This record gives sequence, structure tokens and C-alpha cells, in this order.
Amino acid sequence: MRDIDAVVRGFEASGYVLDRALATAVYLLIRLGKPLLIEGHAGVGKTEVAKVLAAFLGVELIRLQCYEGLDVNSAVYEWNYQKQLLAIRIHERTEEDIFSSSFLLERPLLRSLRAENASPVLLIDEIDRADEAFEAFLLELLSDFQITIPELGPIRARHKPHVILTSNRTRELSDALKRRCLYHWIDYPGFEKELEIVRLRTQGVDHELGAQVVGFVQQVRSLNLSKPPGVAETLDCVDSLRALGKTRLDAEAAEATLLCIAKSVDDSAKIQAEGIDRILSRSAQ
Amino acid sequence: MTQSDIIRFCRFLRANGFSAGVTESLTSVDVVRVTQVVDADAVRWALRAALSSSKEEWDSFDRLYDAFWNEAPRDRSGIERSVKTEPRGFWVLTGEASEVERPTDREASSIAGASAHARLKKTDFSEISRSDQPALDQLAERLLKQMSWRLSRRRKIAGLRGRVDLRRTIRGNISRGGDPVKLRYKDRKPQQARVLILLDVSGSMSLYSMFLLRFAHALHRPFKRADTFIFSTRLVNIGGMLRSRNLADAMKALTACPADWSGGTRIGGSLQEFNARHARLLSRDTVFIILSDGWDTGNPEILAAELRSVRDRVRKVIWLNPLLGLEDYKPLTRGMAAALPHVDVFAAAHSLQSLLELEKHLSW
Repeated sequence: MRDIDAVVRGFEASGYVLDRALATAVYLLIRLGKPLLIEGHAGVGKTEVAKVLAAFLGVELIRLQCYEGLDVNSAVYEWNYQKQLLAIRIHERTEEDIFSSSFLLERPLLRSLRAENASPVLLIDEIDRADEAFEAFLLELLSDFQITIPELGPIRARHKPHVILTSNRTRELSDALKRRCLYHWIDYPGFEKELEIVRLRTQGVDHELGAQVVGFVQQVRSLNLSKPPGVAETLDCVDSLRALGKTRLDAEAAEATLLCIAKSVDDSAKIQAEGIDRILSRSAQ
Repeated sequence: MTQSDIIRFCRFLRANGFSAGVTESLTSVDVVRVTQVVDADAVRWALRAALSSSKEEWDSFDRLYDAFWNEAPRDRSGIERSVKTEPRGFWVLTGEASEVERPTDREASSIAGASAHARLKKTDFSEISRSDQPALDQLAERLLKQMSWRLSRRRKIAGLRGRVDLRRTIRGNISRGGDPVKLRYKDRKPQQARVLILLDVSGSMSLYSMFLLRFAHALHRPFKRADTFIFSTRLVNIGGMLRSRNLADAMKALTACPADWSGGTRIGGSLQEFNARHARLLSRDTVFIILSDGWDTGNPEILAAELRSVRDRVRKVIWLNPLLGLEDYKPLTRGMAAALPHVDVFAAAHSLQSLLELEKHLSW
């Protein structure tokens, strides 16, 4: 197996700047087959880790987006009722026939267990949005990598998926779930790292402009907004400036791209009250 | 780094408030085995990934790691958590009832006539005389208990007819050749509400605090997912003390609680702290209850902003104000006026009667 530095380089090749601490966690995830729970503010690249990992390993990415009310039928499997009804009517099939795997619709979790060739990456995104009941259901999957369908019996993973869970910490996750996972907290990146991300993700951006935007966003982050801008916002801001044909971030340009950074009326007002000029001059220092 | 070193380190973290159990210990032995060949930093990060399970633990890991591996063993005790047991604010919890002798049974039953009950139920907590106190205690205990029973029952009966359950419909109709003659339904699963209580124990509330704490305690029984915080100038989680304890034990545990009993009030500041540190306790099925008189010495704008952000995340915000029982009271204090637009239910909490009326807002 490749080592931690190989993980760092592999991620960088896909445009993801990975610090060695997170690389260690990803390495352990691959090596030990333990699920990895990633928490952090919105827009710091939690979901991206899974996407890049799949590209790095050259395997399929299977994504389950969680939401309130997510149930087993949309996360694991569902019987194909129309097909079952037709089979009963036309072919006069019996009960054993219609509860077989040809009548089964695979949803993301089941699909991740039935991967044919290699371990896929399973991304369970924003697990904190799902109900606690669903979380309890995940436990069987995460500890044994198996799912039980009453009509068919247990289905075991042929290739253990690499599982990454992300959470925005909108609610406390259960201890049982956390116990089964490795944990990593992604914080906002420092200046150098964020600039590196901008350089990697936006092709051929002017170094000066990138540095200005990163400095500006980092200052805005310290303003105690209700939705502080993440790295995704920084990238949006750089893209917008280039689309507007700006080569420098002056007060006028910053005002024009404020909509990329402030995501609520209050936050926008807070930045205005602080004075864009003043934030810019502070970030230039 | 030997196995026993690692196990001792896990125990050291547990002593410092980490929730890491046996599974985590086993995982850490694994991760060290895998990363030991790399370098010291990798081992540190691997152990951090294996042993922490929340941001709070994540943040304190480095300090503890250094303390354990780099310092002499005798220094380790210094960093372990010291629990304060200094009994503070006992009088707030027990009121003066503990000093008054309990009436004999006969006296109690003579007080407990129907009309006396009706009177006591409506009496403002701040005007209860010493002699009425024990009777009110009894009545409160009984009625609050009844209320919590009603709340638990109501949830079980409720529930609307939901969607058609195709799976069971097909199964049930196989004998009829598969035609869905008789439809089966999925009932909506009765969802238990989460209750979050913020209780003001500042000086201006001291006449009411004792009863309101009881009320909070009573709510913890039917609502398995309940949490209570008390605040004045600082915020303290007392959910653990109220949960699964009887009233007397809970009150005793509370006396050791390091809150600023009867201090000033910073509602906005306390809410801000709540939002910053505990907001993940809130969810769409939460009923958020604030028990306070609204005398805020802080900035009312902060209070309004923080309350609005709470309201965005919960089902309902209920503000119970003991002063609302006064006839000529108008919610004009700056704090109260700023908060009102972000409150769904604004009701009184000065007497037992008014607390019991809250029941209708807690069930849906």
C-alpha cells in the first residue's frame, strides 16, 4: 500500500490540498477499513475529500445525500412493485419468485455492498440531517458491512467500501455511530494553504489577485458572521472577478462580488458597516 | 510506544472527559501499529483521529497528548479535571421550605381541600406564604406528574393515516392474485418532540426559580430528549442532573452546580453562548422554552439576533415570563420588546395554573 506522502501527492494531482493530518486519517481509512467521520464548517471541502479519494483510488463514488425523513426504502433498497404486480398477473408467479434479486431496486447503500470489482468509496453526506432512527440503521452497515433484507437474508459486502461520512454539526450524532468511525475536524485553512487551493483550483489565476481575495475573505471570516464564507466562496469570488474582467480587488470590485461572500442580508449589512475599504486595507497588511 | 502505553493514554483521556471506550482503545493500537513506521507526527494525528469524536475533544487533544507523552508522570495529575463541589445557591433551590417543619398529615389534609387547591394553583409564586409552601409543594408534585403522564399518553394515541405501504399491500394481496384489493397504510411514526429549556436564575427571578426548576424536572420525564440550561451571567447545562433522578436528588445535585445563582442577567449573551456551543442540540422537532422575566442588562440587539437564529432551527419558541401574571405588566423592557417578534408563544409562568396550561403548547 502507498504511504501517507503518496496520499498527499495523489490528492494534489486532483486539485485538493491535503495537510498531512488529514492524509493520515485518509491513509488509515484505506489501510484499516474504518469509516471516517469528517466534521467542519460549511464550504471547507468535506464532500470533496470523498470525490477526490474515489478519483485517487480509481474506483466508483457512491453518494448518499441525507435529509430529514430519509428512510430505508430510499437509502438501501426497494422492491420493484410494478414489476412484481406484472409478474403475478401475467406469469402467475408465486411469492418465492417475486421476492428475488431481479425484483430488487438497489439504492446507494446496497449498491456500495454489491460492487463487483473493487471497493467503492461510499459518501454519506450530511449525516446530521438524517433522523436518529436512520443513524441507528447505519450501525449494522458500518460495523459488519452487511445489510439484512428480510425476504432475502443478509447481504455481505464483496469488497468493503471505503466509507466517508460528513456532518455540519447541526445536531449531536449518537455515540454508537461515532465510536465506529475515525474522526477528523477540518478547520478553515490558513492564508498560505488557501492561496495554494486557489492556485490549484482556478487555472492560471494571477497570483496577486488570488492573494488579495484570500486575504479579504480571511478578514471577513473574523467578523463573526452568521454564515462565514468557506473556501468554496473564495473560489466563487475569484471566478466572478475574472468573469467581470477585474485584475485587482479594489473596493468597487469587492462590493460587486460581495454576493459571493455574504449569504444573508444581515451578514451583508455587517460587512458594509465594517467598511469594505477598511477590511481591504487590513487584509493588505 | 508499547500497547500498555497506548492503553494508559486512552485511560488518561477518559479521565479528562473523552468518551473514548474500549473500541477506541483497540482502534488506537491498530492505528499506531500502522503509522509508527512513518513518523511521530503521523502517530499523533492517527491517535487524534481514532480517539476524538467531537470538535471539543479534537481541540483539546494536542494539549493532552503533549501533557501525557512529553511531561514527567507527576505532572499529569495537574491537568486532570477538578470538580468543584462547593455548595452554592442552595437556598434558591430549597427556598425556605427546608427550614420549616413539615406539617403533620392531618394538617396537610386539612389544607388540601378543593378550594384551597384552586386558590394555591392560582397564587403567584412570589406571594406564597410560609405556611402554604409545603401544601403547594405537594400539589405541584402531583399535578406536574399528572401532566407528564398525559403528555406521554397523548403522543401514543396521536398519529395520522399516512401513505400506502406498497410492500405490505402486495404481500397481503398475493392470495388474491396480486390485485391490490385491500390497501395497507404506513402510519406516521409518532415522533417525540425534543424539548430545550433555558431557565433564568438571576436575582430578579429568585422568587420563581425553585418552582421553575421543578417544572423543568417534570418535563424531563415524558420527554426523553430534553435538555435544560440555567443562566444568569453564564450558561450551565443541568440536563444531566435532572434526567432520571427523583426531584430531591436532582435538587441536591444542583446545589453543587457552579452557576451564578442570583447574579445579574445577560440573556442575549447567554443565548449567544448557547448558539455558539450547543446549537447542535436544536432540530426541527425542538420546542425551545425560555423561562425569564426579560430583564436583560446586555444589548437587546444581540438578544433579538440570537433568538431569531434559534427560531430558524426549531419548531416553536415559547417564552414564559412570570411577570406576565401581574395585572398591569406590559412587556416594555428593552430586552423583552426586542425578543417578542421572535417568539411563537408568550405566556405567563407565575403560578402552578399557568405552568399547567403550557401543556397544550407541548403536544401537537
